[in-house]
Amino acid sequence: MFYPTSHPWSTDQSLGDHLAERGVSRRDFLEFCGSMCAVLGISSTMLPKVAAQLEAIKRPSIIWLQLQECTGCVESVLRTAEPSIGDLVLDMVSLDYQHTLMAGAGEAVERAKADAMAANKGKYILVVTGSIPLEANGMYLTIGGRTGREILEEAARDAAAIVGVGACAHFGSVQAARPNPTGAVGINKIITDKPVVNIAGCPPIGDVVTATLVHFLTFGRLPEMDSEGRPLFAYGKRIHDQCTRRAHFDAGQYVEVFDDEAARKGWCLYKVGCKGPAVFSPCPIFQWNTRTSWPIGAGHPCIGCTEPYFWDTMTPFYGRLPNVAGFGIESKVDTIGAALALGATAGVAAHAAATGLYQLRHRKQAEAEAAAGSSTPTKEG
Amino acid sequence: MTAPSHPAPGARRPPIEVGSLDYARKVPPPSGDYQWIYLWEKPLRFMHWIAALCIVLLALTGFYIGRPYFVPAGDPGDAYLMGWFRFVHFVAAALFVMTGIVRVYWLFMGNRFERLPALFPVRKRDFRNLFRIVKFYLMIEPEKAPKYLGHNPLQQLSYTGMYLVAALMVVTGFAMYGQSNPGGLIYTAFNWVNPAMGGAPIVRFVHHVLTWAFLIFIPIHVYLALRADALERTGTISSIISGGRFVESTEEFVDAE
Repeated sequence: MFYPTSHPWSTDQSLGDHLAERGVSRRDFLEFCGSMCAVLGISSTMLPKVAAQLEAIKRPSIIWLQLQECTGCVESVLRTAEPSIGDLVLDMVSLDYQHTLMAGAGEAVERAKADAMAANKGKYILVVTGSIPLEANGMYLTIGGRTGREILEEAARDAAAIVGVGACAHFGSVQAARPNPTGAVGINKIITDKPVVNIAGCPPIGDVVTATLVHFLTFGRLPEMDSEGRPLFAYGKRIHDQCTRRAHFDAGQYVEVFDDEAARKGWCLYKVGCKGPAVFSPCPIFQWNTRTSWPIGAGHPCIGCTEPYFWDTMTPFYGRLPNVAGFGIESKVDTIGAALALGATAGVAAHAAATGLYQLRHRKQAEAEAAAGSSTPTKEG
Repeated sequence: MTAPSHPAPGARRPPIEVGSLDYARKVPPPSGDYQWIYLWEKPLRFMHWIAALCIVLLALTGFYIGRPYFVPAGDPGDAYLMGWFRFVHFVAAALFVMTGIVRVYWLFMGNRFERLPALFPVRKRDFRNLFRIVKFYLMIEPEKAPKYLGHNPLQQLSYTGMYLVAALMVVTGFAMYGQSNPGGLIYTAFNWVNPAMGGAPIVRFVHHVLTWAFLIFIPIHVYLALRADALERTGTISSIISGGRFVESTEEFVDAE
């Protein structure tokens, strides 16, 4: 535990006792449980069970690996709305290893991590942000002289659950974008023998991380996931189908450029490249920074950061369709398609003209032949 | 070539036999000079024209969906333009899929000009004829080109190609459509297409590009049909309306037997 607190949660103490000691009221605790139920989509009739389960848990250990990443995910989790980081991630659970937040450094913390992993063998939760570079034997990322892959494999071996947080952790995000010089891959390419939760997003919403941890602590298992490993409670619907600007989409009212009247009126960002119609994320509902706003709410099109390899598949961020390479930088598919269709029509017209000329020539030939040998009548239908 | 012989002015025309008014079942009897060949049965003809209508509707609405060009002013409650375009697109798509189902069924139930083997020019004879057909369209020794009652090898290739394009359109369309209801039937059946193609935007792109395949195909198809009708004078256009065309009894056809 690297966070200074006057009431550390001792290992043999239940959460209920710990919270009581901290002066957290029963009401506040139940409110927190209620908000988690709401986020997870659990019926409120389950609230007593969730509360009882959470109350009884002993201090869980979390090892948080930060690999090839930018720390944005940690920043996002720190801004989780319910519960605040002080109430949950740092106090309620034992964050035994976390680069950004821990006070210690060097060999001491590496040893602390090893101790925590040994002490909680098979019981700790492994949270990973960042991807793993495989090129050059993984030398693009080393911590304490060991490569990211080694560190990850060691930590994953005895983990009870593995939670990958952020686009890097599953798809490598920007560093895995073409041409991917460091050979960055997500953790699910390395850890194939255990389920890995994919809290997708660049960065993901902190509440989703918290709620996933609460789900695991309460029910002892990971939440239901989609084919990409994303928890369905958060990633079960498209942004498009939850969007506050959807009425403008259906009406046909679109922002054309970012400073036009439509942008000021808050119309739909579809034409300036919003990827909402193909992106699964809870952004419109959970929102960011204690439910202050979210990208589309702030007037920026969705860039699809919760989708696989979004730097490659969702670009250009401000256009609806990918650019066509090899036909000139500004050529778009419609230009090429229209040119081909017009070309086909022109070709057809040219062919028709050629057919006419051909027919004319042959008729003249036939007439000449008929004139030459008019004594032999030909049968004509 | 001499002009067709007409009756002398003032001569009495022989009475015209109208025959049964049940045109749908009436097959003109062979006259000796001409024979009416029934090529395209009703399911195929209906399927063709409904699909043609659907493709026009789908392309028009699809381009709007891809790049909305009309923008209604005022309150979003007063307009539902994109909503209607999408509605028409989806209804036309459903109808188009049904024509596809009819076509697939008819691949097994149709006559020999409509069945599965008629889609693929894979016999040795077809390969040889393919080049002669190409030469025919290039007006190089066209009189030497083989004659077909049904589709010639080039037609077979291009129409089969368009069936494949249509199938891809349906699959990519459903892959996008399914995302509105995750876990639903269409999502379950088609969402695998999105990761398989490398992401939903790629699926959208393929769907968009393939629209142009139809728009390039249509002028060529219509032109060649008109051309055949005008030059061969056997009622080629009529054959996709009435089902058959007239052929001269003396003419030889590759696919006659």
